[in-house]
Amino acid sequence: MLSKKRMYWVVAIVIAVATILSGCAGAKGGGKVLRVNLGTEPPTLDPALATDTTSVQCDEVLFLGLTDFDDKTVEVIPELATEWSVSPDGLVWTFKMRKDVEWVHYDPVKKKVEKKGKVTAHDIVYGVRRTVDPATASDYAYVDYIIKNAEAINTGKNTDLNSLGVRAVDDYTVEFTLEQPAGYFPGIAGMWVNRPQPRQPIEQFGDKWTEPGNIWTNGPYMLETWEHESKMVFVKNPYYVNAKNVDIDRVEAVMVVEESTAFAMYENGELDVVGVPSTEMERVKSDPVLSKELYIAPYLCTYYYGFNVSKPPMDNVKLRLALSYAIDRQKLVDTVLKGGQRPAKTFACPGIFGSPADDPNFVGVSYDPAKAKQLLAESGYTGTPEITLMFNTSEGHQRIAEFIQRGWKETLGIDVKLANQEWKVYLQTVNTDAPQIYRLGWCADYPDENNWVLENFHPTKGSNNPKWSPDDPAAQRFMKAVEDAAAASDPKERARLYFEAEKILVEEQAIIAPIYYYTRVVVTKPYVQRTYAPLGGEHWDKWKITK
Amino acid sequence: MTRQEAAARRLLGREQEAEREQKVTNLWADALRRMARNRAAIVGLVIIIALVIMAIFADKIAPYDYRAGDSADNYMVPLWLTRILPGNMAAYAQIGNKYLFGADYLGRDLLSRVIYGTRVSLPVGFVGAMTALIIGLVYGSISGYYGGKVDDIMMRIVDIVYAFPTMLLIILLMAFFKTSFGGANVPGTAAYTFNRINHVVDRFLGLEGGGMLFIFMGIGITAWMGIARLARGQILSLKEKEFILASRMIGASDIRIITRHILPNIIGPILVTVTLSIPGYISTEVFLSFIGLGVDPPTPSWGAMISEGARAIRSYPNQVLLPALMLAITMFAFNFLGDGLRDALDPRMRGTS
Repeated sequence: MLSKKRMYWVVAIVIAVATILSGCAGAKGGGKVLRVNLGTEPPTLDPALATDTTSVQCDEVLFLGLTDFDDKTVEVIPELATEWSVSPDGLVWTFKMRKDVEWVHYDPVKKKVEKKGKVTAHDIVYGVRRTVDPATASDYAYVDYIIKNAEAINTGKNTDLNSLGVRAVDDYTVEFTLEQPAGYFPGIAGMWVNRPQPRQPIEQFGDKWTEPGNIWTNGPYMLETWEHESKMVFVKNPYYVNAKNVDIDRVEAVMVVEESTAFAMYENGELDVVGVPSTEMERVKSDPVLSKELYIAPYLCTYYYGFNVSKPPMDNVKLRLALSYAIDRQKLVDTVLKGGQRPAKTFACPGIFGSPADDPNFVGVSYDPAKAKQLLAESGYTGTPEITLMFNTSEGHQRIAEFIQRGWKETLGIDVKLANQEWKVYLQTVNTDAPQIYRLGWCADYPDENNWVLENFHPTKGSNNPKWSPDDPAAQRFMKAVEDAAAASDPKERARLYFEAEKILVEEQAIIAPIYYYTRVVVTKPYVQRTYAPLGGEHWDKWKITK
Repeated sequence: MTRQEAAARRLLGREQEAEREQKVTNLWADALRRMARNRAAIVGLVIIIALVIMAIFADKIAPYDYRAGDSADNYMVPLWLTRILPGNMAAYAQIGNKYLFGADYLGRDLLSRVIYGTRVSLPVGFVGAMTALIIGLVYGSISGYYGGKVDDIMMRIVDIVYAFPTMLLIILLMAFFKTSFGGANVPGTAAYTFNRINHVVDRFLGLEGGGMLFIFMGIGITAWMGIARLARGQILSLKEKEFILASRMIGASDIRIITRHILPNIIGPILVTVTLSIPGYISTEVFLSFIGLGVDPPTPSWGAMISEGARAIRSYPNQVLLPALMLAITMFAFNFLGDGLRDALDPRMRGTS
């Protein structure tokens, strides 16, 4: 055993070393630093596999797509592509690409950036094929089912990857052939799943190709650090085509799950931008400093409860309708959420092409306790089998669930059990065997109803978490409406068909109960000039720090 | 009379006095007497009795139902609280005297929820203690009394279970119970049976949909090992004593020896250990609820309330105060009582006060 005196020395040395080390960590490599909270560990950085907002946020700054969305107008704007054209029959889309984009590899140990050659049409073809390839097991491959043969290849009916409707005409021209005309295709072409992917590191490192030191990127930022479940650091890409206009040199992203903790960090000056938990809203609004930093931005997402219609008693349409009509959405927004959200009467939110959300003639669902009671009486449900409502573990979701649980108890007299699972496990549960009632949010990948009703609830072509049977007559009407709408070219006709689909989905069958249209409630330090992306990830490269 | 004589007489007198005392008092009466003189222990006992009464009559004492409320009253706080707490809550919080200690994020009365919370915390403490006592004592007695191979096997089993980090094991079990039993809807399966028993337990406690059985199981499964080891150790040292040998010689059965001769001699230290471990079970439940694995909402658990309150602490510091205070008081009460019991039952303390 050490003598007491020696112990003191050891302790003193340990403290000294710790201080020095933490001092090292504190010394930032100069330049302008933005500190953000990702909120959770991104499940992947692989653009072919990303499905959630956190992964998409990272991919947005690491990889360029053919197209992007304008933060203000939500219009498709060129990114890798310079121009595009479509054949008269609407089936063949040709994108011309810019020739000055480089793949870069960043060595985080030596802090050295290395050019790895130009980004070409072949990288895009490789990326799209890799996404659709069933071996990749991309959960988002169905977005590409609009591309010729993609569905057959992804489901294993066609094993010839070369038959996929994408080809490189020359090094800087890529051509897509579609199954049917789709005016919204330029939006899909720029999505992360269709971004150029670097063949060499993927083949060399396999699953580990997205780790720092392995990954090649072409976006405004490069990945410097990825301490899993803890933090990520992105550094500016000096060879980025628009590098001279990128103001922020370094983005340090922590992964703090608890909103309240992240907000405390913001107040302590450890973060530059953060979401505001509903608990703090009243204080933020009344605080002279914080209220000036507060901004409520629209966000193309809808919060909803889905019903697994294959599990009793959720196979009972009247019961589903009763539950949906018994949710007091306005009160939820006013007293629990407090972030200027709007009660949802449809699945797709306002700002999506084909969404009836802003149409006053579209009825949709709203709070109607009398109707809910009547529907419940007609449904014949008496409390068995019992109903479980599941959500992913989070204080916000729990509050909403408790509010709605109480509302159902008070209005309908139904006891609903609440359960929760951690996000990754929860996603797995919902995708494979969704609980009777499950919570999800859907955020636009491109602003068209196709991305909403067809990709989520089409019984065979969408993810169909509610397990809606394609044999159900209502489902068949729904399928016909969304398929016809996808193929139609006249915008009026498409909108009419989508209105019909929404009506079947929420008003007639209540496959889901839409709850509210998101807003983003954030506070940003006054020295950060920023943009607000209504869909996809934020464009940190367009932000500026004036300090 | 010489000095020595006087001293000897005094000594003799004291001895006689002590002898007399031992004749009229037994261990328990003696212990009780000493307990009564220990003020902290009595305060602890009184608090515990008060908590038990609170739990039994929660529906009569609490001004509101633990589920009821109007979310329009969210975070309502009475004026007197804003005055004594830090921050300027009065500037943004809803001020109202409807609730004595304010309301939570859904407009539910905090005081009522804390009162109903005793129905979670106390049963958890008592059930934890009872399972520890029953399983642990029986297991430990058998292992210690029979010794040899039986002892080896039984104690190795304990060692194996012990090797698991307790908290991790409980968390795993809770996650398992909640996912596989909690939502079981198919009659005839084991999971469904557990689910039904859980319903009965919840109804008995007056907390429907709370999922209490799973917490009892989670805590009970790990609670008994310490007691089992303690009982075994005590018995090992006792069973070679002359009075045990004597009763064995006159043909007493094993059961009789264990229940009539061994248990009365070891019950003191075991009772003390069990009492002192009750706060541990309560805090385990608090911790489980804090991380979202405890009772199911809207059942009020102090742990869940503290967790919610801690998140709101920057804007509404009153939220965390009441449940945390109640938890602290309960912990103190059980610890005081346990300490008092230990002092009272310790044979070495006999005659010291």
